[in-house]
Amino acid sequence: MTLAADTFTFVAQLVHQRSAIRLEPGKEYLVESRLMPLARQAGLGGVDEYVRALRQVPRTFEYEQVVEALTTNETSWFRDATPFEILTQHIVPELGRDRPDLRSLRVWSAACSTGQEPYSIAMALHDDIPDLAVQITATDLSEGVLKRGRAGLYSQLEVNRGLPAAKLVEHFTRVGIEWEVSQRLRRAVTFSRHNLLHTPPAGGPFDIIFLRNVLIYFDLATKRDVLRRVQSVVRPGGFLLLGGAETTVGIDSGWERIAVGRSSIYRHNARRAS
Amino acid sequence: MRALVIDDSRTMRRIIARIFANLGYETMEAGNGREALDLLEAGEVFDVATIDWNMPDMDGLAFVTAVRARHDWRGLTLMMVTTEAEHGQIVRALAAGAHEYMIKPFTPDAIGDKLALLGLIPLEVTA
Amino acid sequence: MSGALAIVNGDQITAITAEIFAAMVDGKPGLLVPWSVGDDVLMNDPLHAWVDMHAGISNRVQLTTDAETAHELTRMLLAMTPGEEVGEEDLNDAYGEIANVVGGNLKALLPVQGQLMMPQVSREAPSDEGAVQFDEVTLAWRGHPIIVSVWMIR
Repeated sequence: MTLAADTFTFVAQLVHQRSAIRLEPGKEYLVESRLMPLARQAGLGGVDEYVRALRQVPRTFEYEQVVEALTTNETSWFRDATPFEILTQHIVPELGRDRPDLRSLRVWSAACSTGQEPYSIAMALHDDIPDLAVQITATDLSEGVLKRGRAGLYSQLEVNRGLPAAKLVEHFTRVGIEWEVSQRLRRAVTFSRHNLLHTPPAGGPFDIIFLRNVLIYFDLATKRDVLRRVQSVVRPGGFLLLGGAETTVGIDSGWERIAVGRSSIYRHNARRAS
Repeated sequence: MRALVIDDSRTMRRIIARIFANLGYETMEAGNGREALDLLEAGEVFDVATIDWNMPDMDGLAFVTAVRARHDWRGLTLMMVTTEAEHGQIVRALAAGAHEYMIKPFTPDAIGDKLALLGLIPLEVTA
Repeated sequence: MSGALAIVNGDQITAITAEIFAAMVDGKPGLLVPWSVGDDVLMNDPLHAWVDMHAGISNRVQLTTDAETAHELTRMLLAMTPGEEVGEEDLNDAYGEIANVVGGNLKALLPVQGQLMMPQVSREAPSDEGAVQFDEVTLAWRGHPIIVSVWMIR
């Protein structure tokens, strides 16, 4: 089964308009596999048919579902492990050097998906630096994933993905066939809907911003725009964590790149200017 | 890298061994804790053992306890891979000395994630 | 009916079984779904796999499917080629292991968790004398019926 060319063009344009994510030609299989469940749900046999129906009677809600289906990615706990070690072993001590009275921390987890990243941040900070009060603002474009994050319920398969067993027993309880995140962690995380192309979310200014594996989907102009907005809500001297394949270098000069082991983190330059 | 897969189901042994092989591991298999101990006693050395809980002869918990009592086997990382899914059972296994715990069912990616946590496969090199 | 398994419902049995198939048999979700109501469930040569668990109260989780479907499941789990001959030992081990994983996950839902026994596979269904069935779901795996039932046994 091959996708009609105009189906792909339409979907790619829709996704780009709403999320700035570019679906390059060659991603037809992605459109096919991600939209098939929506087509079935609508009682239609194929994605071409589904998109044709959508174009005849445009409905905002269904457009959103299409964008969500194509921009939501599988996520695991403590993804890549290193950022969470850097967070507790490098970033918080650095912030403490500048602010000896550091008692509370504001963190923004951008494009948080179903909540594994913000809860991992909360667990790492709670377990390693227990006397620090932490407020995490977790945002995503998709209301569907935010709802799941707020519910804090994860399946067996989901908790098997990268969550250390010691953290599972410490921070989760079994509820029926699922595992529920503790009240303590849930109190530390506020989920809200946010588009990275719009004004940054409430909850700032932030000491630390996680913006991981998002920029890779954007073109250069959009990357620059997103980083400029991010910069407007980071505290002077605050930190930015990107995905392994992402950088601010050559895009936005407001950040100082700091090598930590084999990884890089980025620190807001304004600290030195002030 | 070498892995010892301990499970009384040969289906499960084959599934787990296949995942390790794809990650570049050499694997050996044992049908219960007793057979696994015999391999260790005979001088076989492994980086990691995956251990089922319910097995005839010697169960997984007894195996973990036996391994942790031996100073010369300290280098062996122990990961329970079991259908025992209760909170209390995970606590028991960790208290006995297991380093990690995976509940069946699992995906190959989940095994990879756990090994990364344990420092047993190279993490994605970051820029 | 005040048995421990009264708290296990059909939706949970379906969700657990579907998750196990997605992760370990098919490698993707969506191939094990509830049986369409109204379609006849036909099995020419039913094969049962079950696992008992003993605490103060004893329970059983049982799978029933056509022998040919159990063979196909075995081929999937053991990464055999389509149509390859399945030996009796492989069949019992693979089909039994599915019952074992379903049973272990359902056991976690019980207020009193017992000891999980070794899985058994037979053309003969286990005796239901004195047994009380709590729930049963009929599922379709690639179009073939699989029945999962949960019991309290004496």
